[in-house]
Amino acid sequence: MKDLKLVVQRFDPVKDASPKMVEYAVPKREGMTVLDALLYARDYVDHSIGLRFSCRQASCGSCGMKINGRPRLACYTQVEELGGEKVVAQPMDNFAIIKDLVTDLGSFFDKHKAVTPRLVREDGEEQERPTGEYLMTPGELSKVLQFTYCIKCGLCTSSCPTVATDERYPGPQALTQAYRYSADARDQGGAERIAALDNSHGVWRCHFAGSCSYVCPKGVDPALGIQLLKRHVMTGKPPHAKDEASKVWKAPESGR
Amino acid sequence: MRESRLMLLQYITALLAVALVAVHLLTQGIIYPYSTAISFGTILSLYRNGLYAIFLEALLVVVLVHGFNGVRIILHEWRQTAPWSRWVDIGTVVAIVATVAFGSKTVILAVFGGASG
Amino acid sequence: MSSEGGGKARNRRGLSGWLNPYHYNFERWAYVFQRVTGIAILAYVIGHLGDTSFFVGGPIGTGPSQSSWTFISGIVENSFGHLILVLVVLVVIFHGTNGLRLIASEMGLILGRPASIEYPYKPRSLRLGQRALIWAAIILAVVGAAWAAMILFGGLA
Repeated sequence: MKDLKLVVQRFDPVKDASPKMVEYAVPKREGMTVLDALLYARDYVDHSIGLRFSCRQASCGSCGMKINGRPRLACYTQVEELGGEKVVAQPMDNFAIIKDLVTDLGSFFDKHKAVTPRLVREDGEEQERPTGEYLMTPGELSKVLQFTYCIKCGLCTSSCPTVATDERYPGPQALTQAYRYSADARDQGGAERIAALDNSHGVWRCHFAGSCSYVCPKGVDPALGIQLLKRHVMTGKPPHAKDEASKVWKAPESGR
Repeated sequence: MRESRLMLLQYITALLAVALVAVHLLTQGIIYPYSTAISFGTILSLYRNGLYAIFLEALLVVVLVHGFNGVRIILHEWRQTAPWSRWVDIGTVVAIVATVAFGSKTVILAVFGGASG
Repeated sequence: MSSEGGGKARNRRGLSGWLNPYHYNFERWAYVFQRVTGIAILAYVIGHLGDTSFFVGGPIGTGPSQSSWTFISGIVENSFGHLILVLVVLVVIFHGTNGLRLIASEMGLILGRPASIEYPYKPRSLRLGQRALIWAAIILAVVGAAWAAMILFGGLA
């Protein structure tokens, strides 16, 4: 089998003036992923290639990068599906480069945190020291389940045309999580969460280019979450009122 | 102002623009033959039928508000410094007022101004 | 790539993120065209305010003036001017129809509901429901422009 041409964008901002593309020959094998190829190049050709990875099975979201021009997870992209001859690996767009393929996700996580990505309850005491459970029906679960699969890899945000220029825009990941928690039947923080997104760099800077959903490796469909969020921001009404959130359910004293 | 109010304005002007522009396109080529539609006599008689003047004025306002608000959105997405954001908002209002005033002047003079040869 | 402090290099796509949809989905191309046609239409409208003002004698006119209107008609009513009009009809119909798709999508009307997902993942929001309307926008724009061309160039004027 012919070797794979693996082209990696090499760039150390501390030392280098500009990025350069370096080609490595990697022996192909069946089922080889781009991550496998990169690890081969790092282990046997050049130990200084900077890359980040962990689980190798599309669960951790560490190895997001631009592969042949499109944001993908290196571990979840087979060499064969790219034609099997040439693979070009570059760091994700829209994130600062630390070195080679390693990008800085710091501001991305800050934007995630800024949308209050957790269940908010009015009774903080009950939330901290629960006396029962907050129940959810299967129907209520299906409204948010797909959005919970987000692994925060950053691919959506690197594909987003608004993020390309607007530093204050939360980005598809954070906006989708804002919807995910506001639409959760157990949540009481929807009104505050959507009000915080109703500004000139909030949810309305999304124009449904849909690239986030196109590149998402987990089927989260951020574009769907954001569009569903918009109607609530427009009316100022969260998906459900505070008093419609699930009540605390306590197991009956007897009968268990 | 809440951004959602401005977005609602953008949606409403969009829907109105679709209807008004459709009428405008039909008037200019289908309802009247093009050469008739752009002849001085036809336009003058249409203007002096008050309804058409009101239609043109509505088209003017709706399209310019939608267009300049759209540019405002694009400019906000382009740069985010505080002075930029402030001047973009001020500039949008000024641009809308100036262009609507200019276009309205044409409509008002066409309806009420004394015709000359 | 400029330095961003802490030894990191800024790597935002900038305007190429707006203008270059290559490698991405059909909706991304529609996004680019919506933005470009919007700006083009506004530019045309501003010019159109100028030429229509000649109906009342130009920017500083005082009332309907046949000679002024004849003057401006002599400038804009030619093959080049008519070609511009055909292009305007093309982009206006696209922008309007695609805009209706965007309003319906952004209000969550034509995207379907969240549901359990299966491999291989196919995003619900990028399916035919709204995508068909992009095709409708393209087809209507081409038909409208062809009609305008027949009127302006085909002797139907």
